[in-house]
Amino acid sequence: MRGTNPAEGRAGDAGNLGGVPARDASAALTQEVEIDLFQGPFDLLLTLLLRDEVDLLELPLADLVEEAVTPATDERWEIDAASQLVLLLAAIADLKGRRMLGEEVEDEPDADALAMREALVGRLVAYAPFQRAALWLADRLRAAERPRYRRVPPGTATPVPVHDDPARLSAAIDRMVVAPPAPSLAHMGVVRRPLPELLVRLRDSLARLREVSFDRIVADCDRLEEALTLLAALELVRRGEAELRQDVPFGDILITGTRA
Amino acid sequence: MNDLARTIEALLFIAPEPLEVATIQDITGEGPDGIAGALEEVRGRHGPDTGLELAEVAGGWALRTRGDLAAACDALRARPREDRLSPAALETLAVVAYLEPVTRREIGRLRGVDVDSTVSSLLDRGLIEEADRPHAGPTTYRTTTAFLERFGLARRGDLPTLERFELTGPEAGALRARLEHADLIAEAETGDA
Repeated sequence: MRGTNPAEGRAGDAGNLGGVPARDASAALTQEVEIDLFQGPFDLLLTLLLRDEVDLLELPLADLVEEAVTPATDERWEIDAASQLVLLLAAIADLKGRRMLGEEVEDEPDADALAMREALVGRLVAYAPFQRAALWLADRLRAAERPRYRRVPPGTATPVPVHDDPARLSAAIDRMVVAPPAPSLAHMGVVRRPLPELLVRLRDSLARLREVSFDRIVADCDRLEEALTLLAALELVRRGEAELRQDVPFGDILITGTRA
Repeated sequence: MNDLARTIEALLFIAPEPLEVATIQDITGEGPDGIAGALEEVRGRHGPDTGLELAEVAGGWALRTRGDLAAACDALRARPREDRLSPAALETLAVVAYLEPVTRREIGRLRGVDVDSTVSSLLDRGLIEEADRPHAGPTTYRTTTAFLERFGLARRGDLPTLERFELTGPEAGALRARLEHADLIAEAETGDA
């Protein structure tokens, strides 16, 4: 048995264990406190403090803490309630500390903060129905997971549409088992003439003729071969074996051998 | 029981999935009214004191075992481990169920968080699917037949009205008050920094 001593229940046991109901987070805020300065629910005290209707400097903090953490019943603490309470008390202690040291504390949040808070309230209000709908769905789920359905008919694998024409079924299967046509690799562009071969060919031409027209030697070549031929020509220029001349931009290129 | 009711009972008994009225019509050649009457007769035959019940699920009719017999049924046929749905998954499902077809962006805007992983996990579980796209635009999602079956819903849109779940004035007021307190804490914390 646990939780016979309220203090023990509070110290180590935040969750809802055992049969004793836990306090939810809002219980921390609505709990009544009774100190010299104030008597009423905790959240009202906070509101009054925020509005400066209760003087923070007069607030007996130790009494408040004692009052706040002494539960009215032997309910267990729920972790959210406990942490919310600790945070609030810490915030009040911090504010009071600042006041005592004479530090400025903004009494009213600025307009931006207020607008942001309003926007957040709007969003939370708009979203709340979906959160509740989710709880409703969770209930539905619990109720719906009890009945069982006949999911696997004994002895049958896939239902066969018996009223269908067997010939049509067979034709449909035939279409599915035909091998698809082999993919074409035509676009892969096999390099038929490697660069060294083109170099030899170009040298041969230059040996026979003084001047070779680029357009003419690539007349029956595809684009890749044309590009490679141009590379071969440039390679000859680099080696000092040929010169290139192009009279008109994009016109024919004349390749002239430099070796007699 | 008349012949039609007996036939429908037999069909429901062997059907692996909820049986649509259209299918029953095709097989029996009976009109919807006759079928509705016969279904009532089947329902009457499987009252609370029997082991089976007639239920309208996911757009069809199913003869299923009563909930209180789940343990005995599971002893015969092991049930696949149920995957639990997180609160985030349930909330996202609720948004999709009420607003479908709905985009990820719309779900995210409502939920105020990134919903990519939740949406993906719901897609993986088959509880939501991509909706048809009549026009070019972002992908939209809707709930599936599996969703209806799992939550025991008769058909798409078989949900309480969303208005029923809206916050009342005092509830919204309490929410605002909570945020004011949160601001007090935030102020004190920013002061610390």
